[in-house]
Amino acid sequence: MIFTLMTFSFMFVLGLMGLTFYRTHLLSALLCLEGMMLSIFMAFSLWVLQMESDNFSTPPLLLLTFSACEASIGLALLIAIARTHGSDRINTLNLLQC
Amino acid sequence: MSIMMCLSLVLLILGLAFVASNPPPYFTALGLVLVAGVGCLALAILSGPFFSLILFWIYLGGMMVVFGYSAALIAEPFPESLGSGYVLGLMISYMCLVFFTAAMVLHFYDGPLHLLGEISSFNMVQKDAWGVALMYLCGGVLLVLGALVLLLALFVVFKLTWGMSFSVLRPV
Repeated sequence: MIFTLMTFSFMFVLGLMGLTFYRTHLLSALLCLEGMMLSIFMAFSLWVLQMESDNFSTPPLLLLTFSACEASIGLALLIAIARTHGSDRINTLNLLQC
Repeated sequence: MSIMMCLSLVLLILGLAFVASNPPPYFTALGLVLVAGVGCLALAILSGPFFSLILFWIYLGGMMVVFGYSAALIAEPFPESLGSGYVLGLMISYMCLVFFTAAMVLHFYDGPLHLLGEISSFNMVQKDAWGVALMYLCGGVLLVLGALVLLLALFVVFKLTWGMSFSVLRPV
């Protein structure tokens, strides 16, 4: 239990650090968010499987649904930014002119 | 703990450290596909085959879409992966942080969380499928809520990406 607990905690923290620190592309930040969502899904599933609480297996599926929404809206924002700014590099978002 | 379980846990952390260490997005998507596949393996070993199947369908399907976007949109003239010093140095620093924290946790760990030590690997009784059946039995409101959230996401995507004349991938 302690090893799986440490594993998804490290996955979440690594995804959060990769999202927070300097990213070159916006798509890399979206992929880090996906990794954080994957770690939360693993955490909920391991809760169900290792605590033997079978009635709790609804929240991983709902979480996966909401993460699909998040991924689709993130990709739509990526397309919108690539249309207005010409690229998805993060340092082009620092410019005050479009 | 079996050798497959240890291998999958180590590969999960290594893959996410690779994703976090800022490679170009093709390799990031590839690393996240690796992490999702290893996560499927870990859930299947921990006797959750239905969760593993759901993760394989939905998450890897979504990763296919993201991989297509990254191959189409990202113009990276000189992609550098683990061969470059920048990505490799970031990944080594992340792994040093993980080893230090794991050593701290295992040193100060007293064992109050060690509730169930035994892992019932590849169990034939699918408890997660029971729980999902319970969701279809009693959780209709939550299912309708999930469907409404997906519909809202569809309208938001339409609103954000409307119009062909401003398209970045316009035909010549």
